[in-house]
Amino acid sequence: MFADGLFLGFAVLAVLGAAGLILFRHPMNGAMSFVVTLIALAGLYALLSAKLIFALQLIVYAGAIMSLIVFIIMFLNIQPSDLPKEETKLLYILGSIIVVFPIGMFLVKIVRSLPKSSTEIIGNNFGGVKQVGLLLFKDWLVPFEIVSILLLVSLIGAVILAGKRGAVK
Amino acid sequence: MIHNYLFLSIILFCLGIVGVISRRNVFTVFMSIELMLNAANLAFVAFSRVHQSMDGHVLAMMVMAVAAAEAALALAVVILLHKHKSKLDTNVFSLLKG
Repeated sequence: MFADGLFLGFAVLAVLGAAGLILFRHPMNGAMSFVVTLIALAGLYALLSAKLIFALQLIVYAGAIMSLIVFIIMFLNIQPSDLPKEETKLLYILGSIIVVFPIGMFLVKIVRSLPKSSTEIIGNNFGGVKQVGLLLFKDWLVPFEIVSILLLVSLIGAVILAGKRGAVK
Repeated sequence: MIHNYLFLSIILFCLGIVGVISRRNVFTVFMSIELMLNAANLAFVAFSRVHQSMDGHVLAMMVMAVAAAEAALALAVVILLHKHKSKLDTNVFSLLKG
């Protein structure tokens, strides 16, 4: 099946990008490999016939948020000497994998108990802009407004935190 | 199969937890948190495909908005910390340790 092959490719890309994120020393390399993960996830959303989320993942996540992060990383002009030493990084990663492994196996057990269902791409405007927008403005209006207030608050907070001129030192 | 998507979501979430626990670079910790949010998004969209209702898509959009707000605030805090200590090590920022 063509869709299965695509899923396998995107899944491998996503896991490799995430592994690169936690293994690379410099945050810029980590950010670049995280972008690979985000784009692979966008492909997976398209395979799940979530058209709007696919576009939003590419535009908002891989576009806006990651360019903000990359911009800040470049703005701080990080030299290799500024980075934490992390000699025992692999040991810590091994330890945290041992800690996380039971949680992961528990979740896998939960997922195994779910009934099987196929994920063929469906038409019928499922996940299109109009359908999701109608749902958003009918059933989810109050959470939508709360999220807009949250964005406003974080905007003001970011300006106040980072925008002080001459106040620091 | 829907199970494959959920297994991938679990793997990404666990990798995010591993990144938060084991790394000391502020940016890597922050991006690992974003990775966990993305894994949750994938699970939302997968379940929404199973039930053929689009509530999961709306929730995924909400999570993206929260991630954007988090990115704006967290990067402002990182800039402040870098101004004060010019370090990116989470072990340096231990003022609240007591």
